[in-house]
Amino acid sequence: MLTLLLLEFRKLLGSRSAKLALILTFVLPLVWAYAPRLAQVFGVNVISGWQLPAISLGLTLPLLLPLFISVTVAESIGSEISHGTLAPLLLRPVDRTKVIASKLIAALSFPILLVATTLAGSLLAGIPLGFGTFTGGTGLGPGLFVGVGQLGGSEALRQVLHAGLLACVILLPIAALSLLFGVLYLNTAAASLATFATLIVMQLLVVLPEGIQKILLTYHFKLYAYGGYTNPGDVNQGVILLLIYTIGFGMMAIFAFDRRDV
Amino acid sequence: MTKQGAPALPAIEVRGLNKKYGNQSVLEDVFLNVRAGEVYALTGPNGTGKTTLIRCMTGLAFPTDGEVRLMGRNVHTDGARARAFLGAVVEAPAKFYPQFTGTQNLQIHANLAAMAPGSKRVGRNRLREVLALLELTRMADRKVREYSLGQRQRLGVASAILAEPKVLILDEPTSGLDPLGIGLIHRIVTSLASDGCAVILSTHHLREIATYAHTVGILTGGRMVDTVDLRARQAAYRFRVDDPVGAAAALEKLPFVRKVSTRTPFAIAHLGSEARVPDALAHLGQEGIRVFEASPDHFDLYEYYRERVEQA
Repeated sequence: MLTLLLLEFRKLLGSRSAKLALILTFVLPLVWAYAPRLAQVFGVNVISGWQLPAISLGLTLPLLLPLFISVTVAESIGSEISHGTLAPLLLRPVDRTKVIASKLIAALSFPILLVATTLAGSLLAGIPLGFGTFTGGTGLGPGLFVGVGQLGGSEALRQVLHAGLLACVILLPIAALSLLFGVLYLNTAAASLATFATLIVMQLLVVLPEGIQKILLTYHFKLYAYGGYTNPGDVNQGVILLLIYTIGFGMMAIFAFDRRDV
Repeated sequence: MTKQGAPALPAIEVRGLNKKYGNQSVLEDVFLNVRAGEVYALTGPNGTGKTTLIRCMTGLAFPTDGEVRLMGRNVHTDGARARAFLGAVVEAPAKFYPQFTGTQNLQIHANLAAMAPGSKRVGRNRLREVLALLELTRMADRKVREYSLGQRQRLGVASAILAEPKVLILDEPTSGLDPLGIGLIHRIVTSLASDGCAVILSTHHLREIATYAHTVGILTGGRMVDTVDLRARQAAYRFRVDDPVGAAAALEKLPFVRKVSTRTPFAIAHLGSEARVPDALAHLGQEGIRVFEASPDHFDLYEYYRERVEQA
């Protein structure tokens, strides 16, 4: 299994789409830090380096990160089919479940890598603003950017890391869904489009009653700014639901691949 | 005293294989057995299901009905164990990760081959050995994207034989190769078969394959319409004589002659072995028949195939 995992990570990190995504998620936060209309768009004056992670996540999480994830993960199956490299892999004495499980693990690690580079880029961009105690909020904790008074560096760091973890949880089901579509379509473009279409359709279902909306994946896209939730139970509920989606899509991908003609 | 052992299991066994895509039947009730040391050539017109059959045999595609066993293990229900004995190239040219070198690609396959239960590790010496055997040493550290089609195809065969398989399945192994490359693949296949490896290869090069395959299966319209045992066919000799009909009648009387026919100016006899040729010549002389020439009567697989496909 370790052999397969190492191979999958090697392929993932070697792919052009993954490299591009990792570079952009690291570089873009540097742009936000010096963007002239940032205050107008967000209605906030950035006074601390701790506030940039919230801005970066807010700008990339609804669209850019899901796009990078859906394309790169779909490519992990689609490019193997188009290059013809999946068949030689399956001709070896390896279990199909292990092959797809290692792809799933690599796929699920990609959102974590993207969130990590986004946060790293944001913190690097925040150096000129400093990371000391400031009056206001990180945009991630209680009171969002306004905050609830003075905020120390260690508490700000805790909020950023907590938000990073939640951002990973938000993105995990997208990676699993993209892998599922990858197995079903065996084509990068079709699988990434299907993933994106699913997310857009879910977002369009905003017209449904709130009770139904709460079970939709996209309803929880703002979970990372957990400070915006009045009831902490809602955050836990969202996390559980997103993990159920991840496990569900992952299991479906494994079962679909088990008897798939390649 | 010698003990009569049970007949050996076929290395490759295909039983009642059917494959449908929707309502379209691609393979219909295909049966096929290949024993250890046998070279089985699979041929047929384009689009008759050869590649689908090979994909089903290797476990890449799942049959609608029927089963495939490699060394006695079902390739679809016990895939990892069944493929422990398998080396295969299912596409021409063989496909590899273009961003890695030839050696790196082979190392990936060596690591994966070592995942089979009870299998031994494929060492770097074996990697070098197969690269040298396929005349790829010079290209070993070049990225596969720099390889020509023929070099990729040879790397495919190198990968297939890397873990010393007992079953070798090759789809169009000589596709894209120059005459020297074709000769190289033929020598490797023959050598593996003589070491006991069962080989199936799909091909359109009938005259080449007739020189070293033992059996030829003709697949048409998804059905195996004929299986030709070339070993039995190649024991025929032709005698150019002044009276072919008289010579045929004389040869028929000999106990070791299995079958006789005429093709003016030749009398053709299946003698069982080359060692019987002097006896046949002596007998023809005794019967007063003048012999101008005696030579092996090579079975024309191409002509046979053409007739068989036209009839099907």
